[in-house]
Amino acid sequence: MRQTFVIAQRVLVQLKGDRRFLALSLIGPLVIIYFLKLLFDTFPPMVDAKSLTIPICAFIVHFLSFILCAILLVQERTRGTLERMMIGGFSKTSIIGGYTLGYFGLATLQAASVLTETIWLFKLSYDTKTVVMLFMVIWLLAIVSVMLGIFISTFAKQEAHVLPFIPIIILPSVFLTGLIIKMDGLPVWAQVIGKCLPLHYAVNIIQEIIKPSYRVTDTLLDFGILTGYIFGLLFLASMTLKETE
Amino acid sequence: MNAIEIVNLTKFYGKIGALNKMSLEVPEGTIYGLLGPNGSGKTTLIKALVGSLRPNAGQVKVLGLDPLKDKWKLRKQIGYMPQSPALYDDLSARNNIRFFGQGQNVPDLHQKVEEILSFAELTSRADDLVRTFSGGMKKRVSLCCALIHNPKIVFLDEPTAAVDPHLKMQSWILFRKLAQSGVTIFVSTHQMDEAMLCDKVTILRNGEILAVETPQNLLRRGKTTLKITINNEETRSVIDSTSKDLAEELKKYGLDKNVSSVELQSDNIEDIILSIVNEKEKEGLL
Repeated sequence: MRQTFVIAQRVLVQLKGDRRFLALSLIGPLVIIYFLKLLFDTFPPMVDAKSLTIPICAFIVHFLSFILCAILLVQERTRGTLERMMIGGFSKTSIIGGYTLGYFGLATLQAASVLTETIWLFKLSYDTKTVVMLFMVIWLLAIVSVMLGIFISTFAKQEAHVLPFIPIIILPSVFLTGLIIKMDGLPVWAQVIGKCLPLHYAVNIIQEIIKPSYRVTDTLLDFGILTGYIFGLLFLASMTLKETE
Repeated sequence: MNAIEIVNLTKFYGKIGALNKMSLEVPEGTIYGLLGPNGSGKTTLIKALVGSLRPNAGQVKVLGLDPLKDKWKLRKQIGYMPQSPALYDDLSARNNIRFFGQGQNVPDLHQKVEEILSFAELTSRADDLVRTFSGGMKKRVSLCCALIHNPKIVFLDEPTAAVDPHLKMQSWILFRKLAQSGVTIFVSTHQMDEAMLCDKVTILRNGEILAVETPQNLLRRGKTTLKITINNEETRSVIDSTSKDLAEELKKYGLDKNVSSVELQSDNIEDIILSIVNEKEKEGLL
């Protein structure tokens, strides 16, 4: 456990020192949401674009957390620091745990800043309880994305190898998870794929939360599945992170 | 006692053999050199010894332990300096060393970090980010990371590659100091002059061991060309690099007043190693 905190501390010190990375992960999503606002302003008034805003924000956080974490961990491999950590006495679980813990802080900041801007920019009027619940979902999704990034990084030997996973994992999330259109109209096989992707559960919860009749019990299962992704991906990553060539 | 024992170690990358039934023994407390060109199997061998590579066949014992089965026991006792610096560029030298020290649960880490920074003459730059360092300085920080936990054996993969001559000399003084304190140094290099600084050298090529010698014995394998000029006529004879052979050869000519010059030209370490490679190629072993 001590080693996990040591790695998490190092990740935080690195994040603090890497202004370009911090800007990309914190300011990047805010700029994209502003562009979204410009796009939505062009829609005719009868289109209910507001209901799409929070799910799309969640997707932006999901995408950026995944890609940045995967690339940073692949960098560890290409720089040789991952091998050195393992030979230097750090265990696989402490490396994965340390990275996850290190990104907890970043994920929290990302979720909070994105949600605050979206509510302000789109003039959304949610009560405090709804805002807290929305924050929880986006934050949880960010953690899942970090875990997904760690897992995918085990299949990449260099940064460029992460890119093919964008069309495989991230882009289907846009079309098949109910983010833009409801899943009911999709073929069954496409619905099955959509239900395998974590964004589907985050979108489900968000769509429920913003309904005035929302009760926490309506989304317990989806919350459970989203949390399950964290442990499932943690397990998979620890199985696939190789110690030897 | 041997610090390292390797028997029939074999590793293939696909169909390409990186190590071919290699057997080797490294005595404790020595500087053991692994000499060979790029692609000869030096890094592969080191990776097999530190437990970051799974060989296809053969046995490896480092300090009596199996690098894969006894990895947790072994990792506390070995230091590893990879070929690339393998450091965090956005951390300072001090934080890099401290981080790897924390991985090894080093007691009195703060004091140990200061000591090793001073040992490697890095104290004045300790708080600078590693990305601002020259290649040679990064190598020094990397060495500190490998030594922070007082390992019994240190694996150094080309530690002086792309390092200026002054720093190279300093590094070798440091390696000798460590060996004198009982640490076994297993060092790979492709620079032939460094072979002379080791206690024993293994010459590798294409994953095969060509020779295992002390540098002195290696030099004895060389030839000396004796060039004698008598009445402006030059004669050359090739003799073994021993004083006895030289004396015998000189006797043939006596101390003739017409001898105007005697020149001796001995093979250097590069010539000797090349001649070993050529011999093996002729024997069809390569």
